[in-house]
Amino acid sequence: VDIDLDELIALVELLKDAEFSEFKYEKGDLQIVIRRGGRSYDQEPLLERTEKRKPLGGLRKGTVEQKDWASEPVRTQSRAVAVEVPEGAVLVTSPLLGTFYTRPKPGETPFVSVGSQVEADTVLCIIEVMKLMNSVVAGIRGVVAAVHANEGGLVEHGQLLFSITPLPE
Amino acid sequence: MTTQEKIFVANRGEIAMRIIEACDRLGFDTVLGVSSADTTSLPARRAGRTVVLGGPRAAESYLNVKAVMHAAIETGCTAIHPGYGFLSERADFAQLCVEQRMIFIGPRAEQLAALGDKLNARELAKTLGVPVSPGGPTRSAAEAQSLAREIGFPVLVKAAHGGGGRGMKLVFEEKDLAAAWNLASSEAAASFGDGTVFIERFVEAAKHVEVQVLGDERGNRIHLGERECSLQFRYQKILEEAPCAALSPEVRERLHNYAVRIADALDYLSLGTVEFLYDVARDEVFFLEVNPRVQVEHPVTEAVTGVDLVRSQILVAFGEELELRQGDVAADGHAIEARLTAQDPSNGLRPSPGLLTRWRPPTSGGVRWDTHMFEHYMFPPYYDALMAKIIAHGPDRPSAMARLRLALDRLQIAGPPTTRPLLRRLLDEPELVDNTVTTRWLENELAWKTKQ
Repeated sequence: VDIDLDELIALVELLKDAEFSEFKYEKGDLQIVIRRGGRSYDQEPLLERTEKRKPLGGLRKGTVEQKDWASEPVRTQSRAVAVEVPEGAVLVTSPLLGTFYTRPKPGETPFVSVGSQVEADTVLCIIEVMKLMNSVVAGIRGVVAAVHANEGGLVEHGQLLFSITPLPE
Repeated sequence: MTTQEKIFVANRGEIAMRIIEACDRLGFDTVLGVSSADTTSLPARRAGRTVVLGGPRAAESYLNVKAVMHAAIETGCTAIHPGYGFLSERADFAQLCVEQRMIFIGPRAEQLAALGDKLNARELAKTLGVPVSPGGPTRSAAEAQSLAREIGFPVLVKAAHGGGGRGMKLVFEEKDLAAAWNLASSEAAASFGDGTVFIERFVEAAKHVEVQVLGDERGNRIHLGERECSLQFRYQKILEEAPCAALSPEVRERLHNYAVRIADALDYLSLGTVEFLYDVARDEVFFLEVNPRVQVEHPVTEAVTGVDLVRSQILVAFGEELELRQGDVAADGHAIEARLTAQDPSNGLRPSPGLLTRWRPPTSGGVRWDTHMFEHYMFPPYYDALMAKIIAHGPDRPSAMARLRLALDRLQIAGPPTTRPLLRRLLDEPELVDNTVTTRWLENELAWKTKQ
């Protein structure tokens, strides 16, 4: 099997700060699985539970397995959902638990949307916790590639909010 | 009560497991708030849903009042169970729950405030005719001198406000008192903004005895007998048992009456523990303080009374009437709990977090394990060292001890050093077998053994 070491390093770099417990990468008959933390005894192997996905044209060929915190209540086992992260994108996660707002006020235009160009200090969203508004900035110059959280929904500490494709400084 | 309640569990570890289990049996949904270090913990898997409150440091997560409240509201919870430690005794948090129409599973905010001030609680006990340890607050060294003469040396000299053993001095002779008083007073002024110093009789041989109380909103209040927690190391309890075998029936009844008297005076709601010191030499009891929450050692009371304390605590918080009356409560046999912790006994009980590579608790009669351990659990370094509570119940004290010994012997465990060898050795010590242990016994014993 032919593994491109540089590609692998880039992958690990990208995942370094992401919130995940297992990462699977498939390309032809090449398969890479990265796990974080101990394997839990009562968890079935994730590979058998996740359906096979076709390579995605234009998008990154990998998927980030992320616990779907914000969706329906989960019993006993965390449900894995696929969050598609565009190639080379930088992930912006929530610095705190709160309610996710993409607009300064209801009815106003969103701070950013997919395709918006942002600077490092551009406000992406507001996280409200007990009536206190906390803005989250991009932290990097780039283009918003994806919005991962739902307007008005609860986001948790460390939850993925945005993907940003970096632009040269 | 509506049938579908949803409880927010604002804690971690074994007590989160205990609360979730009680909710599961009541048919209540649970949401667990965790730190980012606890997302793969056993309670995180058991809870109906888990939300990440913040970073690993407790201040960012388990003590983060805003995040806890926001998460509880947004996940549709109707009540919050704070467990022990963390937010459990915070009057401001209980008050915030009232403002947010959230049920706080614990006493009312004003009760927490009244009991949080130790001097205030002591004054309350005094007015009710409950004996307190001889002593009191002093505002000058001269005042301390005359008080110490009255109560007799040795005396403990400590800051009146605040706590945690900070600035506490033991004075054996009158000539040393003034210097100790001045030091304690300046430390108290610097740390707590109040230079008042508390002088208290030092009891050489004391047993720690505490009475479990439980009250509902309709004014029904009962006690569930007492526990003894004399085996301590630096004020940290290691073994707890129920009942306290050292008490005469007369002293035991007096203790229970004192505890209920204090609970009645406060119109106490929920679970609480009234702590006393039993002076073995003088055969006297003194009120210490009230712990307004579920205690770590509650299972020994559950074992001997058959009452599910956490279930009762949840139900009375929802306004349910206590099913039990005092006449229904009786003690059956004897129960002992050992606290297994991730601490290294060969290294001054230094904390020893790390990967638990083997964990196989044995199955044996009369033994209950309250634990969040599992094989390959990464014991995190951020929180307290408690791994498991092993509760053995038998018809009498020797049989409970025998069951506890067997349970410890048969536990298969590997990974970081734990207190298992220490616990096991303690259970063979003659002082423990004879139940003559007092609160400072272990410290003296360890100090002596180290010197040898």
